Amino acid sequence: MKKLSSFLLIFALSIVAACGNLEDKKQSTSSNPKSVLTMSWVKDIGQVNPHMYAPNELFAQAMLYDPLVSYGEDGKIQPALATSWEMATDGKSYTFTLRDDVMYSDGSKLTAENVKRNIDTVVDNSAAHSWLEVVAVIDNVEIIDELQVKINLKEPYYPFLQELSLIRPLRMLADSGFPESGTTKDGIAKPIGSGPWILTDYQQDSFAEFTRNENYWGEKPKLKKVIVKIIPDAQARMMALEKGDIDLIFGSGQLAPAEYQALQKTGKYQTMISEPSSTRILSFNTTYGVTQDKNVRLALQHAFDRQTMIDYVLNGLEQEAYTLFAPGFPFSDIKLEHYTYNLEKATQLLEDAGWALESGATFRTKNGQTLTLVIPYNSGDQVHKTIFEYLQSAWREIGVEVQLIGEEDQLFKMRSKTGQYNLIMNDTWGVPYDPHMYIRTMTGDKQIGYYAQKGLAVSEQLTANIGKVIRSTDEGQRRALYESIFQTIHEEAIFMPLSYRTNYLVANNELANLSFSKQQYEVPLKNFEVK
Amino acid sequence: MGRFLAKRLGSMLLAFFGMTIIAFGLIRVIPVDPVEAYFTMNQIPISEEGLASMREEEGYNRPLLVQYSTWLVDAMTLDFGESFVSKKSVTAELLQRFHVTLTLAATAFIMIVTVSLTVGIWSATKRGGFIDWLSRSFIFTLASMPSFWLAFVFVYIVALKWGLLPLMGWGSFAHVILPAGTLALGFIPYYIRLIRSSMLEEVNKPHVVFARARGVKESVIIRRHVVKGILPQLVTSLAMTCGGLLGGAAIIEIVFTISGVGRFVVESMFARDYFVLQGFIVMIGGLYIVFNFVADLLCALVDPRVRIKGDGA
Repeated sequence: MKKLSSFLLIFALSIVAACGNLEDKKQSTSSNPKSVLTMSWVKDIGQVNPHMYAPNELFAQAMLYDPLVSYGEDGKIQPALATSWEMATDGKSYTFTLRDDVMYSDGSKLTAENVKRNIDTVVDNSAAHSWLEVVAVIDNVEIIDELQVKINLKEPYYPFLQELSLIRPLRMLADSGFPESGTTKDGIAKPIGSGPWILTDYQQDSFAEFTRNENYWGEKPKLKKVIVKIIPDAQARMMALEKGDIDLIFGSGQLAPAEYQALQKTGKYQTMISEPSSTRILSFNTTYGVTQDKNVRLALQHAFDRQTMIDYVLNGLEQEAYTLFAPGFPFSDIKLEHYTYNLEKATQLLEDAGWALESGATFRTKNGQTLTLVIPYNSGDQVHKTIFEYLQSAWREIGVEVQLIGEEDQLFKMRSKTGQYNLIMNDTWGVPYDPHMYIRTMTGDKQIGYYAQKGLAVSEQLTANIGKVIRSTDEGQRRALYESIFQTIHEEAIFMPLSYRTNYLVANNELANLSFSKQQYEVPLKNFEVK
Repeated sequence: MGRFLAKRLGSMLLAFFGMTIIAFGLIRVIPVDPVEAYFTMNQIPISEEGLASMREEEGYNRPLLVQYSTWLVDAMTLDFGESFVSKKSVTAELLQRFHVTLTLAATAFIMIVTVSLTVGIWSATKRGGFIDWLSRSFIFTLASMPSFWLAFVFVYIVALKWGLLPLMGWGSFAHVILPAGTLALGFIPYYIRLIRSSMLEEVNKPHVVFARARGVKESVIIRRHVVKGILPQLVTSLAMTCGGLLGGAAIIEIVFTISGVGRFVVESMFARDYFVLQGFIVMIGGLYIVFNFVADLLCALVDPRVRIKGDGA
């Protein structure tokens, strides 16, 4: 009897194991190790509509669609679908000459008419793109001839080309990709682009298969296929990598710092950290409570030990930040004196401003008011939570009370719009959005940047300068304006840069030529290889 | 039986109608609407005018009663509207994923019934024995472990270390075993305990004692009298569990990377996708109501007292 049951058990298990193996082969990398890469992603890639936002994933949009011009590694604008362009002397129109060898993945050719159709459909849906100046500033698109288009602007706008290079919403979809209604805000018929990859297989929430576009006009990818498996859970992704179901985990959105370090410590994988991609900042609200006081803002900056936070919360994966944008970002190489960690100075600043610490009291007071900071945060973000808990204990030492409010993401963002906070976590956007896009949020109503500057005496002048800089077509004038803007931001201490964010990846040792893109939302799969 | 059935059907319809109001109302009470959620999710700072014009387009600023009645009328024909995020029909989106969750829940259900009946009956009949002792310690250990944690332990040992079952995904029967097993483990301790204690109660009832006095075989007593006696309670409880399994599959679906309804709804929750959430609540709520109805019918069939009481009142 015993023998029989153990035999049955082994038999059942082997059937199950056989079923498992059978299924695995379908999506496994090992079947063709030389030219297929399998990577994980957190979310489904969506319909991959080039003209809309979520659920369309940026990296997939970048794989399938091309812009007229692209953002080069050195921050210079490079030719892409357009070989050349010319700006009118008044800065109010741009004429683009298109490549004549661009073929969409359905075999159709890129034409001026198709480019116009793409831009028109985005401009028609301007309500959805009101955050993006480039859409608001386009007046109309003229077809000059089959390979020439002229985009007329309502007014000059210097970051026009930068914003054309964005992954969305101004990349080109083939005519056959447009839906019956003719407007892509209703979705697309098919994801037909001219990019280096073609979407050849897809199962929603499960996987997406991209195949090299053999007709790609630029340098073709080295890999033949990229399979993206949708794995929403970080632990599950790590196990999939260990089992060999995936070859690569790309991006800090997929692994928390501690998880990255855990994989690194095993010594079984190659790991890489990128250059700074954006800045983690704490933004003050200068219109609310104690942070209206400049001395309080300065004191908090001096009472923050960035290195300790980076070592213990971010596992050493990021660099200390003292300026809003990392040096090397456009217009950002300006000499500014850092607010370094100095508790004595911090205490002195608070004393000078009249925030006194009564004997026996834990927190400082002034005219009966306690020095309390209200800090809301997204309770789902463990890293933010830990940073704030660290700050809570650090600032307690100089007599500052921190009241933390952890909320669900949407509620947290709603609070950020009401301005009911003293300090809030915010990230800059990275290139090619920065510096102009982040700076511009300071002029928009109810935005974090707005609350940062609104309470300042120099608020009006600052926003006027921001308005001027994005309209300026003169490089020299632009540089001077940016310098003045950054100077004011720094002197008024309205942002507290914490660290420069980095991207990171973990891959098995068979992959080669791994790298990061300048644009943090792009995965440069084109260059990746399998040894 | 006829009156019993009519009464039950009537209350079922009433519950259904009440549920649609709750489904509609509760979601609108949560702050942040789909339009705003969409832009904050994409980290896009959008102007109030932009939001207003999109709300107008989507019809979210019509009076609530108008919105509710339009939705209800459409819902009667199983048209639950369009997802704000994917722009696809909610019915299609839910159905496309529902069979996955249903397979998961049904497998878990079968596991719950077989394991808990076997162990429960065994430990009740051999009370104080080794199996009883083992099952009780097993219950305590299992009941005190969170199911997502158990899921990881299982995945780690069975799929990663032993390589017996696939790590994640969906497609063959092998893919169902681990997630369904994990899902079932959350319920099994409860049922073993329920079966064991109600059986021990049943064993001392007069009709069982009388049967034993008549010299009826022990196995027959257990089958015909004791197990039958605990059935109504068990069936009612299982009906509730059916709904719970469908609703509770979300975490399991995330951990095992299964594209089921649970995972979809969690994502829709963050996006405040009204129509998806309403459709889901009505679907799961509807199933709860139907399961309960079926359970009531089953109880009435097994236990004549239930249907006599129903008919007489």
